[in-house]
Amino acid sequence: MFFEKFTDVYPSFWGWLNQGPLTLTLFLHTIIILPMIWLYFKEKKRLEQEDK
Amino acid sequence: MAKSHSVWTSIRFWRQSAAWVTGFAVVLLILLTFDTMRQIKMGSKRVPAPTVINHHIDYKYSKKRGHEVPVIGKKELFFGKEWSPKEAAALLHKGKLTEQAKNCMDCHTLLGNGAYYAPDLTKAWLDPKWKDMQAMIGAKTREEAMAKFLQHPEMYPTHERRMPNLKITAEEAQALVAFLKHMSSIDTNGFPRGFSKTVSDFKAGGTYAH
Amino acid sequence: MLTSIKNNHLKYESQKLGMMYFRVAIILFGAQLLMGLIAAIQFMYPAFLYGVFDFSVARMVHINALVVWMLYAMIGSVYLMLPDETGIETVGIGLGKLAFWVLTAAVTVVVLVFIFIQIGPGKESSIWLINEGREYLEAPRWADIGIVVVVLIFYYNVFFTYMKGQRTGIMTVMVANLMALAGLYLAGMFFTDNISMDQYWWWWVIHLWVEATWEVFVGTLAAYALIKIIDAKREIVEMWLWIEVLMLFGSGILGLGHHYFWIGTPEYWWEIGALFSALEPVPLVAMFVHVLYDWGKEQGANGEKPVIKNGPAMAWLVTNAFGNFLGAGIWGFFHTLPQVNIYTHGTQFTAAHGHLAFFGAYATILIGMMYYGIQRAYGIERLKATFKSKMAITLIVFGMLGMTVALTIAGYEQVLVERAELGAGWDAYFVAQALPWMKQAMAWRTVMGVVMVVGFVYLIWDLVTIGPKEAKENNQ
Ligand code: HEM
Ligand code: HEM
Ligand SMILES: [Fe+2]
Repeated sequence: MFFEKFTDVYPSFWGWLNQGPLTLTLFLHTIIILPMIWLYFKEKKRLEQEDK
Repeated sequence: MAKSHSVWTSIRFWRQSAAWVTGFAVVLLILLTFDTMRQIKMGSKRVPAPTVINHHIDYKYSKKRGHEVPVIGKKELFFGKEWSPKEAAALLHKGKLTEQAKNCMDCHTLLGNGAYYAPDLTKAWLDPKWKDMQAMIGAKTREEAMAKFLQHPEMYPTHERRMPNLKITAEEAQALVAFLKHMSSIDTNGFPRGFSKTVSDFKAGGTYAH
Repeated sequence: MLTSIKNNHLKYESQKLGMMYFRVAIILFGAQLLMGLIAAIQFMYPAFLYGVFDFSVARMVHINALVVWMLYAMIGSVYLMLPDETGIETVGIGLGKLAFWVLTAAVTVVVLVFIFIQIGPGKESSIWLINEGREYLEAPRWADIGIVVVVLIFYYNVFFTYMKGQRTGIMTVMVANLMALAGLYLAGMFFTDNISMDQYWWWWVIHLWVEATWEVFVGTLAAYALIKIIDAKREIVEMWLWIEVLMLFGSGILGLGHHYFWIGTPEYWWEIGALFSALEPVPLVAMFVHVLYDWGKEQGANGEKPVIKNGPAMAWLVTNAFGNFLGAGIWGFFHTLPQVNIYTHGTQFTAAHGHLAFFGAYATILIGMMYYGIQRAYGIERLKATFKSKMAITLIVFGMLGMTVALTIAGYEQVLVERAELGAGWDAYFVAQALPWMKQAMAWRTVMGVVMVVGFVYLIWDLVTIGPKEAKENNQ
């Protein structure tokens, strides 16, 4: 039910990702947000260093 | 003010994050745009070539897709002739120009976008209404009925709200009908849903259209 | 009449130019309302001006006046804030003034052509000279090119002033965002026979304006206004601004997908459009919280007396926070999922959302900026709301809310009867339009439009008189 056969007119990378349960949007959101975690820790380190 | 220790109140963190997220969203949009351009160019399966006007068009429920899709059928004459690729393209070009110059979209919607003062034209070519109109106008074919109506809409009122006379010439009217027929062949992922059908038709998988 | 607003207390030419933009903006706002009323009356009495000034003409002028007055008020706001933020007079202000007159002349010609010539034959020349026929972007191609030139001059002014003067975070966002805003206009400037392609790029302009760059613009304006009106702290305001940029662009750019469900574009847009645009209300909530938080925090802290330096501007700013959230956030979310949108797409429901969103998110804050400009122009320490200010905001907001309710009801009828029950054909359309409840809704919309027009009369009356009145009282 959550995995569907490919139904769109043309095959494509995005269409293929679109077959699972919200996989396309989860994928996009994840790759957008993940680097923010890295930015977070980078900033944290910088703040700690400034405090010293 | 004391130095803040929290990353959550660090302007630099938010600025960097904003730059990253914006930049990356733009890149994704551009990539998606390239893929979509490929899929919707004129002559693709989603947006058929102008010569589609030489074919019968229907709009039927597809089990596989889970909604209605355009079905391009056998050849049929359009205004009494078969149009070469060059002629068809020129006709469509004129039709689109006329659609814009007459400002259709500030009363109607096309593909659902525009104004809400008059019916949606996405599948107007397939509208069962043209059967009645054909009789009322005294036209031999659907395309003739549409062209006559477009030239003198004030003469064929169907409702208190009438379409005004937009000084559409015979040539422009023919081109507009081609534009409308072409638009009805575009794969709109099932919009409008259940076009002009009753429940029984819907279940039977046919349409009123033809 | 509007020239009676004096500029005596403005130190900078840039700010005087800003006031010129405001004057034209408010006139065009009036024209917009008038055209809306004509179109609304035609919904009730289709014979009204039939064949002379058809619905399509009234509507075209209605929505073009809307876009143009907002752009004017936006440019005016930028010229107003630029010297404050950078600490210097705007670079190339002479050229900026010339651009103002060129733009205003061009707008006048376009409006006259829309009103008197209306449409052209189906040829390229019509697209170039008369009417491009693409909703909101009807301005003919020659005017498009003129607009691009004027905007380039404006951007030159802003960019070099920014480079030369002091660089605040607010101005950094402003400069970057304006570049995107201006650049997007180019996406609407070409012709194609392919209607799907046409709509694809059309939405780049419309959506990426109102749901990305204009929203960030409003965030920037609000940041500036909060500092000026309630002495909000710059570090806090700027931090919020970056968070807003992050969330607005993060959701709004790919949220564009909610317009790609049914125009011939691939199915994967269903998921992208649904989930990114569903997040679009989040920053609007954040902006709302931000304004109210600053407001609550800045007044009364340390037992000080609350100070709002500009009553009417603050009232419109708070209305903006509400309206943006309600019109764009809530009404937008209502129809943003494809499962809903397949039925609501292109119905009166869309019109309900379009009205409340444009009004709530943009009209409100831009009117607020006009009040702020007047305060500065007359050098008033504290501008208090007058009776007219209160009548204006009450009637306009009430009219807009009433209109939205009417259109939402109309949309509901249309969706259920025309779309769900009868399948969106020609007959289905007119059956739904003829329902008594639909007709009543259309009548209420017109009545509420009249209420708004009365509110507008108060507004313009107030804008013209509040400056001299308050200046006199302040000096006593
Ligand atoms: C201030 C921000 C916004 C403004 C000014 C605005 C304005 C508009 C306007 C005028 C339209 C109709 C366009 C046309 O004429 O075809 C529209 C359509 C739409 N808007 Fe917004 N909008 C805003 C924000 C949002 C948000 C935040 C969402 C979603 C959460 C949203 C969802 C939609 C959808 C789904 C449509 C398409 C309606 C249809 O299919 O007919 N909008 N918007
Ligand atoms: C006197 C008040 C007003 C009246 C009577 C009025 C009436 C109308 C009418 C009749 C339409 C055409 C709708 C259709 O195609 O079915 C329209 C469209 C529109 N109006 Fe207004 N309007 C008024 C004020 C405003 C204001 C204050 C704004 C924004 C600040 C606004 C923004 C719009 C927009 C964005 C559209 C296009 C909507 C869409 O395509 O979905 N209007 N208006
Ligand atoms: Fe949108």
